Amino acid sequence: MAQASRVAWLVCFLATMAAGTVHADSRVRVREASVANVDGLYELDAAITVRVPDDARRAIESGLTMRLDYEIEIARVRRYAPDAEVATLVQSYELGYHALSQRYLVRNLNTGEQQDFGTFQAALDRVSEVRGLPLIDSSLLDPEPTYELRVRALLDLRTTPDALAWLLFWADDWSVASDWFSWTLRP
Amino acid sequence: MDAPSLNRAASAAVMGVGGLLWLSALLFMAQTAQNSEQFSRLHPWILMVNVAGLVVLVGLLATKLAQLVRDWRGHVIGSRLKARMVWIFGVLATLPILLVYFFAVQFLSRGIDSWFNLEIRQSLDDALVLSRSALETRMREHLNATEAIAEALMQGSTAQLPGRLERLRQQSGALEITVATEGGAVIAVSKGLSHDVVPDELPGEVLLQVRQGSPFVSLEPQAEGGYLIRTAVPIGSALPGSSGLVLQAIYPVPERLGALADTVQAAYQQFGEKDYLRRPLKASFILTLTVVLLLSLLAAWYGAIFTAQRLVQPIQDLVKGTRAVAQGDLDTRLPLTSHDEMGFLVHSFNDMTKRLRRAREAQQRAQQAAETERANLAVILARLSTGVVSLEPDLRVRTANRAASMILGEDLEAGVGQVFGEAGAVDGMLREFTEACRSRLAAGDVEWREQFTFQSGGGRRVIMCACTPLPGEDGTPAGYVLVFDDITVMLQAQREAAWGEVARRLAHEIKNPLTPIRLSAERMRHKLLPSMNEKDAQLLDRGTETIVQQVEAMKEMVNAFSEYARAPRFEMADVHLNRLVTEATDLYRAQVTNRGVTLDVRLDPSLESIVADRGRLRQLLNNLLTNAVEALEGQAGGEIRVTTRRSVRAGEDVAEIAVEDNGPGFQREVMGQVFDPYITTKTRGTGLGLAIVRKIVEEHGGHVEAENQPGGGARVRIELPVSEHNRGPALQRDARRPEPRRERA
Repeated sequence: MAQASRVAWLVCFLATMAAGTVHADSRVRVREASVANVDGLYELDAAITVRVPDDARRAIESGLTMRLDYEIEIARVRRYAPDAEVATLVQSYELGYHALSQRYLVRNLNTGEQQDFGTFQAALDRVSEVRGLPLIDSSLLDPEPTYELRVRALLDLRTTPDALAWLLFWADDWSVASDWFSWTLRP
Repeated sequence: MDAPSLNRAASAAVMGVGGLLWLSALLFMAQTAQNSEQFSRLHPWILMVNVAGLVVLVGLLATKLAQLVRDWRGHVIGSRLKARMVWIFGVLATLPILLVYFFAVQFLSRGIDSWFNLEIRQSLDDALVLSRSALETRMREHLNATEAIAEALMQGSTAQLPGRLERLRQQSGALEITVATEGGAVIAVSKGLSHDVVPDELPGEVLLQVRQGSPFVSLEPQAEGGYLIRTAVPIGSALPGSSGLVLQAIYPVPERLGALADTVQAAYQQFGEKDYLRRPLKASFILTLTVVLLLSLLAAWYGAIFTAQRLVQPIQDLVKGTRAVAQGDLDTRLPLTSHDEMGFLVHSFNDMTKRLRRAREAQQRAQQAAETERANLAVILARLSTGVVSLEPDLRVRTANRAASMILGEDLEAGVGQVFGEAGAVDGMLREFTEACRSRLAAGDVEWREQFTFQSGGGRRVIMCACTPLPGEDGTPAGYVLVFDDITVMLQAQREAAWGEVARRLAHEIKNPLTPIRLSAERMRHKLLPSMNEKDAQLLDRGTETIVQQVEAMKEMVNAFSEYARAPRFEMADVHLNRLVTEATDLYRAQVTNRGVTLDVRLDPSLESIVADRGRLRQLLNNLLTNAVEALEGQAGGEIRVTTRRSVRAGEDVAEIAVEDNGPGFQREVMGQVFDPYITTKTRGTGLGLAIVRKIVEEHGGHVEAENQPGGGARVRIELPVSEHNRGPALQRDARRPEPRRERA
């Protein structure tokens, strides 16, 4: 009996530790999102609100980078079964500070494109909006069913060499994710 | 394999797997600290495994410690030794671990801090400033060049703008020159071949700054490496026909300079990054060390408990085994858990218990044999007609057989453990016998043989006793054994046999000459008397008369002896005892009445016939009545009482005949010999009356006893078996009594 209770305690402990790694946080929130059919291609417009504490900003200016991922899912809604996933897409940005030029760099990790900004806020504004992001060809969606689109943002702090990322486990908890922002789409 | 062994094996397997898992987690944790990217992702999980191991160890240790405390409080054997060993082992393991931990934390903390000392930080800052200064010089040069281009553009017309831009771009070495409105609309652009064909929009911050009237210059790092210098100046008011234009020129940074700048930037960034992570890095290392420390400490304490248990377990087993042996359980076997000195001790203990068990079994067998012998001896002693009493050195009765009790008339078996003779009656034969024996023993005579004669209520008793000491360890007697026998009856029988022989000889040697003597005397009288004178005739007459009378007297005596000695010729038949008693008493009634003696006859009507010799019984009654009458001779108020009674003796029917008188009774000195021949206190008679009575009684298998009555007078009581069948059992009343004598006449 005592042994069973010890095992149960250990399982609860491990579950708590596992659940604590990623969780919804008020520091990032999907403010708005929508899709538009542009010449047979659905394009996403989304805007998020990101609140970056001073400590995180100091971490970025010290050399760490902030990664922002937009996770986009398109699922076909089914009545008696779980939704069927049609497409998923991740749009990633990386925000860092270039000390020599005293410029903030924003890199689109999907395209490799890089932009630089004179202020942190200008760089943050850049990654806080997605405009005209191609999602899926409209021909791939059936006209009858209803589709659900879900968007969320994941914020994470990275080190330049990834090997030191484990140390962030002991720093501030930057692995935060927003709630899913979802809406329906009828092609 | 038994259940405890399976449990031990399962526990060892679980502990082994857990230990390997923990060790692997520790190694993985060390790998993460070595900047391995692969392990860094697993860092939380590895940490969790270690913490889980920590928790498990804490639980196990708490359980063990709680058990140890319970054992301590419960005074369990070995718990104190175990606790002491755990404490010693634990402290011995804890002190060096804590010492190493303290210094490791110190070295780690200072070592990490040394990585980020001020000199390095300052050097990197200086390098950054230096690089930045070098680039700023170049940026100022390019800004001046851009302003020169703007001056040149203001000299010409708008229509010639593209051509002029291309020429100015080539002259200035710019990669791209763009003329746009303050709103950002591109008016003209000139690009080198290596640059994109499609013109980019001017950044908002460029337009903003230029609109404010300030030139713009910035160093822009490129994604593929290297740098560009972006410059912008207002030219709007200078060009004819236009207002508020912006000139942007982008210049390349030499590759060598860019590479150097990248190196500085990378070093600065990495340092800054690690400097920022210094605190978590230290925390992580210290935590890793702490986890290792705690795991090592807990494992050390658990190992201390485990080791102490292993060491104490054989001792506990030995103590339990010793207690079991002390309580008589010699089947105790201790498990042999090791082959070291403790194992040797356990082996010796098992060997000892085995030897003890064999010795006990041998002792039990010997004891059993002794018990058997003792039982046999007890049976033999119980069946012996000889009395055997064993005494302790202090004369306490150790054992006594039944014959001893019967001889001495006291229950000696009930007096086992008591001082010999103390339980007996004050005036009993046992007390006299004990005194006699004690006097011999007190005199230091421990081995002797003596015949004692005692006077008891039943008459004179002769005891032949032998004493032998029991051998002791140091030469002193371990006790005494008294062996004695009542030889009264035997002596009586011997006397009777002697008297029988005397009677036979008398009958043979004396009776025969009596008749010739009488005849000779009578013939002498007949022949000589007539021829003799009166005086001689009177003398002869008196002499022959005397001879004849004495011969008759001698003849009567000889006949009496002959009667005593003659072999019985039984004519056994049913005899009505009451009737026979009536006839016998009637013969004496007239005689006693004349002497003033009262004859009282009390007969038991339930007494019918018995199997006996009628003539012999009549003689028995005559002898008894004659004895009684003669005892009352000359005594006024004499009284004779004859009683018959049917009774049961030893489960058998017997007929009792008692003849009592109120005469002087038997003299004390002859009480034990009244039935002996020629024992009499009377002036008359042969002294064979009671001897013949006893002879007849014994011939019938009966019993006779004589005693003085409390109120005076003698009493002779006879018991005769009623039937021939129970004549034997009647004799059992006195087992020592010899068979009735059968003598020849």
